[in-house]
Amino acid sequence: MRLLHQITIFLFSLFGLIASAQATLPIEQLESFNGARAYLVQTKSLPMVDIEVSIDAGDRYDPAGKSGLADLVAGLMTYGARGDKGLLSEAQIADEIADLGANIGFSVSGERATLRIRSLSRKDLRDRVVQLAAAMLSAPSYDANIVAREKQRTITSLLEAETKPEYVLERRFKSMVYGNYPLAQSPSVKSVSAITPADLAQFHKRFYRSDRMIVSIVGDVDQAQAKEIVQNLLKKIPQTGPNIPTLTQLQRSPVEPLSEREVFIPFDSQQAHIAMGMTAVTRNNPDYFPLLVGNYILGGGGFVSRLMSEVREKRGLAYSVFSYFSPGKDAGIFQAGLQTKSDQGSLALEVMSQTIANFIANGPTVSELLAAKANLVNGYPLRIDNNRKLLDNVSSIVWNDLPLNTMEIWTQQVEAVTLDQVTAAFQKYLAMDRMKIVVLGAQNK
Amino acid sequence: MRSNLIRFSLLFLLATQHLWAEDRTPSNTHEFLLNNGLKLIVREDHRAPTVAHMVWYRAGSMDETNGKTGVAHVLEHMMFKGTDKVKAGEFSRLVAAVGGRENAFTSRDYTAYFQQVEKSKLEEVMKLEADRMSNLNFDDAEFLKEIQVVMEERRLRTEDNPSSLLNESLMATAFMSSPYRHPVVGWMNDLQNMTASDARDWYRSWYKPNNATVVITGDVDAKQVLASVEKYYGVVAAKELPVRKPQIEPPQRGAKQVQVKAPADSPQLSMAWKVPRLEPGKLNEPDPYALELLTAVLDGYDNARLNRSLVKQEKVANDVGVGYDMVSRGPALFVINATLAKGKTVEQAKASIQKALKDVQQNGILESELKRIQVRILSEQIYKRDSIFGQAMEIGSTEMAGFSWKDIDSILERMQTITPEQVQAVAKKYLVDEHLTIAILDPQSRKLASKGDKP
Repeated sequence: MRLLHQITIFLFSLFGLIASAQATLPIEQLESFNGARAYLVQTKSLPMVDIEVSIDAGDRYDPAGKSGLADLVAGLMTYGARGDKGLLSEAQIADEIADLGANIGFSVSGERATLRIRSLSRKDLRDRVVQLAAAMLSAPSYDANIVAREKQRTITSLLEAETKPEYVLERRFKSMVYGNYPLAQSPSVKSVSAITPADLAQFHKRFYRSDRMIVSIVGDVDQAQAKEIVQNLLKKIPQTGPNIPTLTQLQRSPVEPLSEREVFIPFDSQQAHIAMGMTAVTRNNPDYFPLLVGNYILGGGGFVSRLMSEVREKRGLAYSVFSYFSPGKDAGIFQAGLQTKSDQGSLALEVMSQTIANFIANGPTVSELLAAKANLVNGYPLRIDNNRKLLDNVSSIVWNDLPLNTMEIWTQQVEAVTLDQVTAAFQKYLAMDRMKIVVLGAQNK
Repeated sequence: MRSNLIRFSLLFLLATQHLWAEDRTPSNTHEFLLNNGLKLIVREDHRAPTVAHMVWYRAGSMDETNGKTGVAHVLEHMMFKGTDKVKAGEFSRLVAAVGGRENAFTSRDYTAYFQQVEKSKLEEVMKLEADRMSNLNFDDAEFLKEIQVVMEERRLRTEDNPSSLLNESLMATAFMSSPYRHPVVGWMNDLQNMTASDARDWYRSWYKPNNATVVITGDVDAKQVLASVEKYYGVVAAKELPVRKPQIEPPQRGAKQVQVKAPADSPQLSMAWKVPRLEPGKLNEPDPYALELLTAVLDGYDNARLNRSLVKQEKVANDVGVGYDMVSRGPALFVINATLAKGKTVEQAKASIQKALKDVQQNGILESELKRIQVRILSEQIYKRDSIFGQAMEIGSTEMAGFSWKDIDSILERMQTITPEQVQAVAKKYLVDEHLTIAILDPQSRKLASKGDKP
């Protein structure tokens, strides 16, 4: 311990904790359009632009018995839409995207649906791309034949996923940790089969409206051009709609006896897969930074975390071992995991549990804290060094209602974290007697 | 019609920008050869204050010998286990302290190590990387733990992954003598019998400055970088490398087929044809370019031929993909993979693929299809400049295959000159049964699959 401490102090004097003098590019807030907020970061060196629309229409809004609906609503937007000059088929959309040298894609997470566009920034090209994306976003056609085809593809993929250890583990873990919250439900053959074209159209109408959207733009456009992009993207989208009932609150994982929160799933894979975790915090929680720094030490810091050291470096038990917090607008979760040869499942679970328990009980050492802060602060420029990463940052900042100067003050917030704050935050939010545990494919149980 | 106009103006725009890009290439990319044979390539890109630092060794799994498959990758793991001066695990701690991101990867052709850092930290990581080029010194106990980690990696990525098992059998069947037939991670039995001295022998054979290329991209000054590289890498002594036997694959004399039984739900089909790759010094040969473009005509965008016919119209496949790498050290395959739709047979999927190929072979492709692909290639050239790490990857992998980074632009330009007739010609010439290997995944249900699996 002493030696490690000396090494870290030495590193400090050598490399220092000097944040880059380079000014962070500012996020400019544009005028709202039809209730949609919009933001811009101007980067001029490449003739390209990245655009994102975040829609408050994630998996958490899947109706009971229709899990998978939000995914299909977004996924099918590329497969047909009504444009200015009539219906655009899926083939026409795909050909036009390719002809324009652009990328347009939709994805869905628990909280939100996301439309991402990458285009060359020249006006005539970018106008065409935006016009096409606007048609997809505002007027997807949800043709019955295509809905049937995509439902069947989803079902086939689900049946395949159910043969994979990581999917079966994750699905069970989610159902345990999310409890009564909608994200506990995963899509199933039954729930996807129950979805109709009318469900898609109705979900789209309810959730895809501009008062539930945020636009983020990074690239070679000025404020006026960005404003034009926002207007052209959203002008056909209704501003508002019927009231959407608030979701059930995600309840904190309760204290329970081990037998109530631990599950063993038999599985004839070569490796046992283990997941452990519980509910945690929102991104705007004041303890976010102590948890970020603490998790770097526990299981987030690549090759140098405690979990990596105990499980992989000292014992050779796993190739991959990790822990993370996934905070969002809603309280996210804390999750740790690993995979190991099936007859080592118990041993690996024990090492992982003890490492986490010990960290919650005693917190990090001074030298670990200094090393973590050094990494996060010195490495910050790597988190914002291209357009795509900048867009990821802007998107997270505006979605989570963080201050617009978050990128400028990020390293200061990391530096301000104290040892006591890390220990207190871990003790406040995590507890071993609340952790859900799923062990799949272990042979000695 | 309007669409065509846009397309041509886009082509024009990109072509002019491309010329401009080419114009500045010599001034932002610099190549140096040190006295010890180490090659250095620096690309200055001052958009953000960060740097990617990579060292590429021209030693991958294709340089391994029987009974020692996987040793290139095992050594990659051992490179983090200490030198004379830096203790086991300390390398990663030191890189982390300067805020660096780091990792390494092994392929059939090469092994590469990298760090990404804020620009003022470059020299610190370079010092560490240069140190482990010649002073690696790990003990047997570290090896015995790490070989377990590598076996876990194989279990995770291959043993429990039916697509990987299928690909492993495909490669081992398609190639009889080429070392490309062995998986990069190695066969499990070879890993179980590997020793620390196997790894040390590998290191002593291949980790030499005259077998290495350092690629640095980002916010640097090439002259200053050269001085640092001279200081840290320049002191490493050159040494003669082992003789590389050519191990040329003999011609295939008829179709081959292999079946893999593994836990899965849908059958999978892989069809792989032996095709030529681009050869250094023969950049004008049209066939590799035409094959690369054929890949995109079949699978380059959502409405490309195979996705359209197999997934959308005939619904025989749930997913389809095409792969071909024209730039590699070893022999090339043109591979079509399909995961079957529910209730469809491998024969049906195969027939649909063959029908789509026959259409290209007999009727050719449209001018508009080819232009669409060529436009994408041009716009990707702009997009790729958003990532300095991506640029370092492109430079390094091209160099390892025996080309120069200077060839990258020529290759992309040559791609724009290929005609629909040339694409049709390669489909006719190479996608024939004599050069074909088929691998089929026959799905098996898991013995204990869903017991206790309902929440």
